[in-house]
Amino acid sequence: MTPLGPELRRIVGDAHVLERASQLLAYRSDALPGLRRAPALAVFPGARDELIAVVRALAAHGAPFVARGAGTGLSGGALADGVTLLGLHRLKRILALDPEARTATVEPGVVNALLTRAAAPHGLHYAPDPSSQAACTIGGNVAENAGGPHCLKYGVTLDHVLRATVVLPDGEVVILDRGDEAPGYDLLGAFIGSEGCFGVVADVTVRLTPDPERVITLLADFTTVRAAADATSRIIAAGILPAALELMDRPTIEAVESSIYAAGYPRDAAAVLLVEVDGAAAGLDDDAAAVEALCRAAGARGVRTATDPAERARLWQGRKKAFGAMGRVAPHLVVQDAVVPRTRLAELLDTIAAIGARHRVRICNVFHAGDGNLHPNIPYDAHDADEAARVHAAMGEVMAACIAAGGTITGEHGVGLDKLPYMERLFTADTLDAMCALRDVFDPARRANPGKVVPVHSCREWHAAPAARGLP
Amino acid sequence: MNRDQELREGLDACVHCGFCLPACPTYLALEDENDSPRGRVLLMAALADGTVRADDRDITAHLDACLGCRGCETACPSGVPYGLLLEETRARLAKARPVPFVARLVLAVFAREWLLRPALAFARLARGSGLAALLARVLPAGFGMPFAMLASTARPAARVWTPEGDGARGTTALLTGCVMEGLFASVNRATERVLIATGHALRDAPGQRCCGALHAHAGDRATAQVLARDNIAAFERSGADTIVVNSAGCGAMCKEYGHLLADDPAWSARAAAFAAKVRDAHEVLAAAAPVLPATADGPRVRVAYDAPCHLQHAQRVVQPPLAVLRAAPQVALVPLADSDQCCGSAGIYNLVMPDVSSRVLAPKLARIAESGAQVVATGNPGCLMQIGGGLVRSGSGVSARHPVELLDEGYARGAGRD
Repeated sequence: MTPLGPELRRIVGDAHVLERASQLLAYRSDALPGLRRAPALAVFPGARDELIAVVRALAAHGAPFVARGAGTGLSGGALADGVTLLGLHRLKRILALDPEARTATVEPGVVNALLTRAAAPHGLHYAPDPSSQAACTIGGNVAENAGGPHCLKYGVTLDHVLRATVVLPDGEVVILDRGDEAPGYDLLGAFIGSEGCFGVVADVTVRLTPDPERVITLLADFTTVRAAADATSRIIAAGILPAALELMDRPTIEAVESSIYAAGYPRDAAAVLLVEVDGAAAGLDDDAAAVEALCRAAGARGVRTATDPAERARLWQGRKKAFGAMGRVAPHLVVQDAVVPRTRLAELLDTIAAIGARHRVRICNVFHAGDGNLHPNIPYDAHDADEAARVHAAMGEVMAACIAAGGTITGEHGVGLDKLPYMERLFTADTLDAMCALRDVFDPARRANPGKVVPVHSCREWHAAPAARGLP
Repeated sequence: MNRDQELREGLDACVHCGFCLPACPTYLALEDENDSPRGRVLLMAALADGTVRADDRDITAHLDACLGCRGCETACPSGVPYGLLLEETRARLAKARPVPFVARLVLAVFAREWLLRPALAFARLARGSGLAALLARVLPAGFGMPFAMLASTARPAARVWTPEGDGARGTTALLTGCVMEGLFASVNRATERVLIATGHALRDAPGQRCCGALHAHAGDRATAQVLARDNIAAFERSGADTIVVNSAGCGAMCKEYGHLLADDPAWSARAAAFAAKVRDAHEVLAAAAPVLPATADGPRVRVAYDAPCHLQHAQRVVQPPLAVLRAAPQVALVPLADSDQCCGSAGIYNLVMPDVSSRVLAPKLARIAESGAQVVATGNPGCLMQIGGGLVRSGSGVSARHPVELLDEGYARGAGRD
């Protein structure tokens, strides 16, 4: 058999196969700072036929592989530890856009924001809007079941994907369809969010959403984080469904306001809430007025309304670039993702603050308050071993507190490599075993994204599949 | 802070978020993360750490392929000073391995007036005789482009008008530049006329030279420093309050003289004082807010604005060029998609790496065609020639002009009517 490298070169061309260690430096990490794993080889197919041929070649060699889009993931899910990295970023064509059916069919490497840009002339947009939407790809969004600020009202990726052409790890091409009346099990639903462990998408058909007739964005500022969390509960309890409901605390505000994405958030606030209401123009002012009143009742010091698109965009840019802006504060950064019952937000934020104080680390909170999806981030200096240890300990306690409060360990970033240790705290052995069994339906050889999502030793039959352990 | 610390802190500021990827023209064209800002930051860090060798082509090829457009800087939430990191890394690389021959040749010419002046005179001759236009048509892609670039700098005779101004806005001196004065002299004259008309008193600055941007970007910091010192001295002698630059690349360099000469105790303060006086021509003109009579009669020209990277990303001057164009009554602005993306000119990049450069240029030409513009306006000689050359080669009827030229034409029309 031809060795893998030359065979892949024959398929995609020399320029798109990297094998030397110095060529692979840039592919050792995704957007989760701190975790690095060196791939053995990287291959970048540039067309659908090339993708299928590459996956088949990998199958013929029994080679494990990790799919990667733009590498914007925050759980280390796209790290290829000594195996092949399958980059899908060159597959970036929008294959079809049907304004009447309100659907688009795209290749996996299409950037999320570029799909919305292409749909905009038709008064449509692609609703899932992760903060990395300017860079992240639809293929990655499908793998992670990505959310975003506006998923509070519009739903996550799962709610917007209608159909996918999937290349299974053995090279078989299948179509997973979820037409509204498709009978049988929802295999597409199982595939979305499988973090690259079930196969690779060759194309995805997504729903496009009509732009709302009108949008009002409010910025409420609070002198305590608790009051901001309380306002969140009041808004939801009042039966209002904002398009987005985001909370940022003071350390986050400071980072954003020092960056080029400074949005004009009040630097002296303990927290701000970014609330967006949208929909039919009629009645929207009433919703906005109600949100403002509820914020004030919860103790808001001031509420600002942005109606012109430029100011709205500025307020949102600040929120969406907040994670990156924390790079200003310290050289390294832990980005976390957890979900807690919304009613216990205020209490959990107090707990998190106490954990931060006890370990002397600076926790910045920026999160989707409306659905209880927390993102506690800690900027720190990894060269300082003592600080790094304290950060690690604090993060473990934060996750434990979220689990204890009835929450879970990831809202949208995925388990990847980073959250692997928490899986056994959250699920029983039987449940983890069931997950392994589901995976076997798609990838019995367990070659796709090996070593991610479910801890290897949790799968009772793990040792039956040596390829999955990353052995060549 | 010394240059080692500065480099280390700049590299550490990157949190790998990847938001720079879609802003990077070479990543979009080459589709390899080694050719993205995030990838290059990792490569520069590996070089700084000494974990890779300075002669490893797998590393240096990607750093050489960077345009230095700094489009990543205005996309970066954590404020990575990418341009600074690249310049520092290239200066270190230049010591460790030879600079490409073409680059050395061009840089040597630009640093010597006795070579530069005849070279530019010869270029004007080739342009005026029609030789450049002929070669642009008949030569194959790689060879024809430089002649197309040259041919695109030809201008119809400008309608000269006599500006009147009160000089109330203080004294200014124009950095006439090397390529600007050599190939775009009419743009310099236009800049002088509109400066006077908007209330600026012009001073001469004899003895000024090439700004050194090409050298600094290629890693030849020593030559850039020599040129900077001569320019600082020349403009000090002029006594001007403001130093006006109509070339975005030169303006960005001049604004960074303080940093360039930070290590030189005899010059650092003078360099910082010089840099503080530098303004892009559009900044000065937009601040003066010229109001020209509307031309109801004359035909309006559809103009698309393309932002030079060193104006948009390096100097962060975004609105003033649009204000200048709006002030020209004959101009009808049309939007240009991706106007903040590099055209692939990047100093001498298009001469050293013609293949990548033309791949970066291709989407720019497509967006210009889609815009329906008759003229694309951009305030930098490199961009004017790159886009202009690309338009010539593609047989497009669109021309590339400097925004100040269009403002000057607006004044000329008004003057003609009086």
